[in-house]
Amino acid sequence: MPGKRLGRWMVAVPMALLALATVYPLVFTTNVAMKTRREYILDRFSPTTSLHLENIAAAWNSVGMARYFANSLIVVTASVILLLLFGSMAGFALSQLRFRGSSALFLGCLAALFVPFQVIMVPLARVMADSGLIDTYPGLILAYVAQFLPFTIFLMTSHYRTIPVEIIHAARIDGNSTYGVYRRIMIPLGAPALLSVGILDALFCWNDVLIALLMMPSPEHRTLMVGVTSLRGQYSDNIPQFASGVLIAAIPVLLLYLFLQRQIADGVTAGSTKG
Amino acid sequence: MVRSAAAERTTGARFERPGRHGGTGGIPRGARAERLAPFVLVAPAVLIIVALRLWPLLLGVNFSFTGDGERNGTSVGFDNYAQLLDDPLFRTALRNVGLLVVLLPVAVAIPGLLATFIYLRVPGHRLFRGVYFFPAVLSPVIVGAIFNLMLGFDGPLNAALGAIGLGPIDWLGDPGVAMFTVIGVHVWATFGMALVVFLAGFSTLDAALLDAARMDGASLPRIIWHVIIPGLSRTIQFVFVTTMIGMLTSMFGLLYVMTSGGPEGSTYLPEFYVWIQQGRMNRPALASAASTVLFLIMLVVGILQVSVLRRAGRED
Repeated sequence: MPGKRLGRWMVAVPMALLALATVYPLVFTTNVAMKTRREYILDRFSPTTSLHLENIAAAWNSVGMARYFANSLIVVTASVILLLLFGSMAGFALSQLRFRGSSALFLGCLAALFVPFQVIMVPLARVMADSGLIDTYPGLILAYVAQFLPFTIFLMTSHYRTIPVEIIHAARIDGNSTYGVYRRIMIPLGAPALLSVGILDALFCWNDVLIALLMMPSPEHRTLMVGVTSLRGQYSDNIPQFASGVLIAAIPVLLLYLFLQRQIADGVTAGSTKG
Repeated sequence: MVRSAAAERTTGARFERPGRHGGTGGIPRGARAERLAPFVLVAPAVLIIVALRLWPLLLGVNFSFTGDGERNGTSVGFDNYAQLLDDPLFRTALRNVGLLVVLLPVAVAIPGLLATFIYLRVPGHRLFRGVYFFPAVLSPVIVGAIFNLMLGFDGPLNAALGAIGLGPIDWLGDPGVAMFTVIGVHVWATFGMALVVFLAGFSTLDAALLDAARMDGASLPRIIWHVIIPGLSRTIQFVFVTTMIGMLTSMFGLLYVMTSGGPEGSTYLPEFYVWIQQGRMNRPALASAASTVLFLIMLVVGILQVSVLRRAGRED
């Protein structure tokens, strides 16, 4: 059917253009980041002829991107570890153990899922300030854990519901305590879900700017994303340098995406199909 | 499996899912520790969620009825809310929420339509799927910074428009245009997320139904209207609600980097207003009132959407 085939291509061509529009901004930014300031002013669009990686090096060294990068790495790593630990513990209890108040707890967790950060940020800042946690690493880490824990628990609970009870019975017969079952059964069997939830949590924390701005305001505590927001003022007259800074902040996420696209998509859709 | 009620009580935790029956087996060692185990397991999560999410929510509502500055801590009734309604910036923020609600169907239809084509295996569907999703992993801050370059007065977009004899447009400097620009960038950055959710929904769709419709020679719009939309009603509902929540709560990074609420305050949204009052103006009580309004908006919009979509779903 030639008519039908024509129809398919009539759809495919605009979709290809859209794909181009999806990639182009990043390609443009990368291209600009490789140019010298002079090359940029003369012609910003043409593909760069030389790779000026010194822009990247300069952005890394001069504006403190290295420091911001380290801050982000510390905060995100600690947050994700705590999220996975607390999330899997609670998910195990809520899915496989029956105890007084378990369903109320699960509902409370779902309710917390729908309380956005913007709604609680003012009193949360006050609570953090009162307990001396504002502008400290533990303060920001706690804020991230509190923010993404309901989501983590929700996904871990729905994953652990798929583990057959018989496996747990068998482990109990072998003499495992509840903690033993958690450590020897739930952690290994939960690994795929932990990976996929962990990646999403890492992305959320890494990409956040609002919570970081509020919880760690001082310049030496800037996370990478807060650092990016300050680039524009510093580099308004040197666009290639600015683009380099943006690129540094984007690269870790792009690598994550290239290698773990599947897990990211799985995590995103888990909420929709299990909800 | 037979087990005594007493054994069950000492284990405290019965290893079963609601609605399924199975014994625990085994002999409990340290019955007390075992009985407490579930509570120990949920304790850190409960502590954190209660102390840092639910408690602040109550605190914030309470805050919103107290004063700022020298009236700090004293009860002022609905003064803050009255002041919000008087503030042109907050009114703009509310108007912009209205704009978001109006544009919401578009923001849902775009990924829905694209997912349909990908599901129907348009040439290149595998590639499209991967490429469309990628901006969704970028931080709004990075997206905003990139689009600051793209949308500059002498940037690529105006250059492209110039090539076909249009423009240039002051994308971020014109108060009549800037909000549309920011929403457009937000949709660019997030449609991949909704697309992936739609594709997951398609995988649960009954393929036989689709084949039957095709055999009958139904046109694509008819297939979409009579087979796909009813079949995906739950997914569509989910995407509507999550897209709206996303628009109300995850555009801060874009606003902060691209417009800072300007030009002339035209790109304020409630979340940005909350931030400005808290972080810049040191008006936490007023900010709390704005937060509470935002929360109410989200509740109302969410409930309305679910009920409207439910009713629409039933008619099909």
